[in-house]
Amino acid sequence: MSEKTTSFFRYLAYAMEIILLYVLGTTPNLLPEIFGAKPTLLLCVALTAAIFEREIPAMVIGMICGILTDLGYSNGIGLFTISLTVICFIVGYAANNLVVAKFTTFLLYAFIAVGGIFMLYFLVHIVWAGVDDCWGYFQRHLLSRMVQTYVLSIPIYFLNRFIYRTLGNEIN
Amino acid sequence: MKELWESGKIKIFLSVLLVLVMLTLFTRKVENNVLSTSVNTLTYGLSKVSAAAKDRNTDGMSYDELKDEYDAAVDANRELRARLVDYYDVKEENARLWKFYELKKEHKDYQFVPATALRRDSNDEFYSFTIDKGTASDITTGDPVMGENGLIGYISEADVNTAKVVTILSPQSGIGAIDKASKDTGIITGSAKFADDNQTMFAKLKSEHKVKEGDIITTTGVSGIYPKNLIIGEVKDIGYDTYDTSYYAIVEPYEDIRKITDVAVITDFEGEGEILKRTSE
Repeated sequence: MSEKTTSFFRYLAYAMEIILLYVLGTTPNLLPEIFGAKPTLLLCVALTAAIFEREIPAMVIGMICGILTDLGYSNGIGLFTISLTVICFIVGYAANNLVVAKFTTFLLYAFIAVGGIFMLYFLVHIVWAGVDDCWGYFQRHLLSRMVQTYVLSIPIYFLNRFIYRTLGNEIN
Repeated sequence: MKELWESGKIKIFLSVLLVLVMLTLFTRKVENNVLSTSVNTLTYGLSKVSAAAKDRNTDGMSYDELKDEYDAAVDANRELRARLVDYYDVKEENARLWKFYELKKEHKDYQFVPATALRRDSNDEFYSFTIDKGTASDITTGDPVMGENGLIGYISEADVNTAKVVTILSPQSGIGAIDKASKDTGIITGSAKFADDNQTMFAKLKSEHKVKEGDIITTTGVSGIYPKNLIIGEVKDIGYDTYDTSYYAIVEPYEDIRKITDVAVITDFEGEGEILKRTSE
């Protein structure tokens, strides 16, 4: 297959993955809540796809996942869209030029990215919004969501690595 | 790094970022903006299918049981195909409407639009959800949303095919309410402390209030936004807010708002908006 054809099928695979996880994440009462929270699945897709792609495709995947995550929560785009767009662009660049994109690197980067995004979310949507019992919310919801999102990003990393190795130029 | 700054990629990135920041500012101000309406329209069918698929209860059934059920269904389908056209849809709709029939009998002035929860977002800590009906069904922002056993919340945003419901578990809600036994009045507003347990707050009670456990809380209807006497829930406990030095009651709705799927939107009722009209005059 030509490079264009494999790229097309790779992006198609990402698109299907995003749609599937969007449905899984938003269907009422489908995924069980663990300690009062569910994982943010599209965040896992964006963070894992970015490490295998170049800057611009990584940025676009991050942006789409961010928009869908934001619009599920409110009627506008915002924190998730902008933060995922920026992070995915930087990661896409770094993975191709600055660091070796391997599993241990991913674990460290995903830990920082997931922690950073959710702490930003906590500050903007909970602390600044004046929601009462902020600390209680952090303990009961956010901590669990962060851990679940981080843990689930590992199998999704391997799925996206499989997609990339099958339908793209191997960089690992 | 120097290459990145000199390449066109950084320009594309910065341009996209600028557009996103502008869109963020735009979509914060504008209700029912093009972006959210487009995505909602695009994902409407998808959400409808997934929500319907989830409604089929297969919990705890083994493969053999499911296969037997499937075989039986195929046989039945062959025999009854002609008569079964639209049967399930009609049956489901009928069941949904029956839930609200008693309420409609009690309040003939209510105009109902039955709806189903399409999706709940994992990021929303106050259990808001999106329903499968929108402005095409005469739903507008601010309409009260009912469950089978009482008030669920109100419509916060509505586009053509979908609408978002903010529940009474959310601090965004501020509903005038009354204790039917003691006649004490207050405001129903959610709290992060109680939302997880499907409870909300009956706040701003006077210091000499007589609210007690077991009392039923309903809407006052004085603002003309909600009909009078919509059941909200039952008092479970009384507390004291040290910040605004007022008493509050913890109210548990009769419906599990965290999991509800079938709701009805009250699009019109006697006295709707009368106070607002009078105020604006």
